[in-house]
Amino acid sequence: MQHRFNSPEGPVEVTLGKSANGYTLAGHSIEQTGDGRLRILLSDGRTSYAHVAKVGDTWWVHLNGQTYRWERIEPGASSSQHEGGLVAPMPGKVLEVLVTEGAEVEAGTPLMVLEAMKMEHRIVAANDGVITAIHFQAGDQVTQGAVLLELDD
Amino acid sequence: MINKVLVANRGEIACRILRACREAGVQTVAVCASNDVGSLFMEMADECVLLEGDSIGETYLDQEQIIKAAQTTGSDAIHPGFGFLSERAPFARLVQDSGIIWIGPSPEAIEQMGDKMTARQTMRDAGVPVIPGEEVESEDEHEALQLLLDSSTRVGYPLLLKASSGGGGKGMRAVHDPADFLQAAEGARREAVAAFGDGRIYIERLLNGSKHIEIQILADRHGRTIHLGERECSVQRRHQKVFEEAPGPTMTPELREAMGQAAVQAAQAVDYEGAGTVEFLLAPSGEFFFLEMNTRIQVEHPVTELVTGTDIVREQLRIAAGQPMSCGDLSIRGHAIEVRLYAEDAANNFLPSIGPLAVFRPPEGPGIRLDTGVREGDDVTPNYDPMLAKLIVWAPSRVEALQRMRRALDDFVILGTTTNIRFLRELCDAQPVVDGSTTTTTIDEHWPNGWVAASSPMFEDASLLAAAAGETMGLHRKTTSKSGEHFSDVPSPFSTLNRRYP
Repeated sequence: MQHRFNSPEGPVEVTLGKSANGYTLAGHSIEQTGDGRLRILLSDGRTSYAHVAKVGDTWWVHLNGQTYRWERIEPGASSSQHEGGLVAPMPGKVLEVLVTEGAEVEAGTPLMVLEAMKMEHRIVAANDGVITAIHFQAGDQVTQGAVLLELDD
Repeated sequence: MINKVLVANRGEIACRILRACREAGVQTVAVCASNDVGSLFMEMADECVLLEGDSIGETYLDQEQIIKAAQTTGSDAIHPGFGFLSERAPFARLVQDSGIIWIGPSPEAIEQMGDKMTARQTMRDAGVPVIPGEEVESEDEHEALQLLLDSSTRVGYPLLLKASSGGGGKGMRAVHDPADFLQAAEGARREAVAAFGDGRIYIERLLNGSKHIEIQILADRHGRTIHLGERECSVQRRHQKVFEEAPGPTMTPELREAMGQAAVQAAQAVDYEGAGTVEFLLAPSGEFFFLEMNTRIQVEHPVTELVTGTDIVREQLRIAAGQPMSCGDLSIRGHAIEVRLYAEDAANNFLPSIGPLAVFRPPEGPGIRLDTGVREGDDVTPNYDPMLAKLIVWAPSRVEALQRMRRALDDFVILGTTTNIRFLRELCDAQPVVDGSTTTTTIDEHWPNGWVAASSPMFEDASLLAAAAGETMGLHRKTTSKSGEHFSDVPSPFSTLNRRYP
């Protein structure tokens, strides 16, 4: 009963224990309720209820007024983050490209202006580096996650 | 008499109006772009006309197409809601010239108030105080920027650039440093051209530490122009309101009377008819200044409805039909708070988010009202404004209303799309919100480095257990889903979508 999830702090590995009606982890135990929620007996003795849903590879969990996201790493999959690419945070239109190929930029330099939901969003350099490629021009539509430019250290 | 209303809008506000019409026994027609087919508002109308075209301009902003839809369906009135065509005077005129009742003020009143630069002049003439600032009139972009730059030195910093046709924070920029002025002005102008087709910009002094207070107005054809008291909407992010309440936590009866009178004066100056809102900035000095008048129903109208016992949309229908409004004298009872739920990542500069509403379970219980245009199973798309719902609570006192809002936000479950629910919940604990000292800069001051959710290692571990157990139990495979998405079993959304009054 091993699972791996991505979290903002890096991958986490989880090994569940088995209880009479469900599973355990770190002193908490969990079981299913009749209406599809999960009843959690917390390590401090309190009981809480979680709503869960899986969308794509990600488990969404609502618990105690907070929403958590755990992206499951499917067994055998390698995490393929696009190195150095600056991606569109959401679908939209490129309004302006502020740099040219070969430009040396500092961290924080605005590189591109996107418009989405009628608001402007600036794409800025995450680190110092050189722009090695620009994949879109002003007026182009971009999808979420599209690699907009390449920035090498 | 109005027998059939066409609602020229979509989403949450379309639902609000369609419900009011249903309650009033009025037939309804919705108009709907192809990417909105299957939306909740479409279901609520007696008839629905599909708008041809792809962009917003070709659909919800296509005046001819909407008039034609009203004519072919035999609608005798059009309700524009907010946004879209609601403040376009030429549309109001076209509606009236087509022999259809326009549920709103006259085209002339919209013109005088809708253009923010004209409105400032009209208010100055009517003796209503306006924010110090300057208007710039120029067709030429280069010249306009130069004139703006000149007037910026006279107005002084910090200042606010605003689009004359603006609204909803679009085409608006705060400038603190003269070095940033030109870039900000260009950005504001571009955003204004894109959103409103009008790049005219004006400058106002930025009054930091001010409260945003607005007065709800109703005016009928029988000689009555009244105000329904104030709403405080100071708490804003990106110049958009997220937390609104009535009455204002620091309001006094004397100030309410003075602001109410100024608002009534403003409405009368343009022979106003119907529902409208006069917005003011209340400076720390106690002086108040006219900001703008919104010549339409407003997003945050429910808080006024809850504390005054009024149904503003029903009053709009009455007034447009030529009947006297039914409200009596102003009386304010208890306290109401509204928060706006957005599909956005509050931890990442409030960037809009998209995704499926795999689970959408609003809170229930006494004093809770939900106005929404979505239900479980819908997709949040980048096509329209990312507001998902308005959660409104009423309680006998402000303290109890805040307590109720905290509980309601804790109970609100939305899975599949990132929302600002947790941000709103923590906002309810922010000291300025608790003690009612909120200003338009509260969010920036309270979270100078941006908001990050407070973490609890115990619940984080427990949530990881829930995710791992969900996977092990195969919850995503067992469930019955609507559109092939992996949903967990939850009660029918239809049992939770009723509008509730306290």
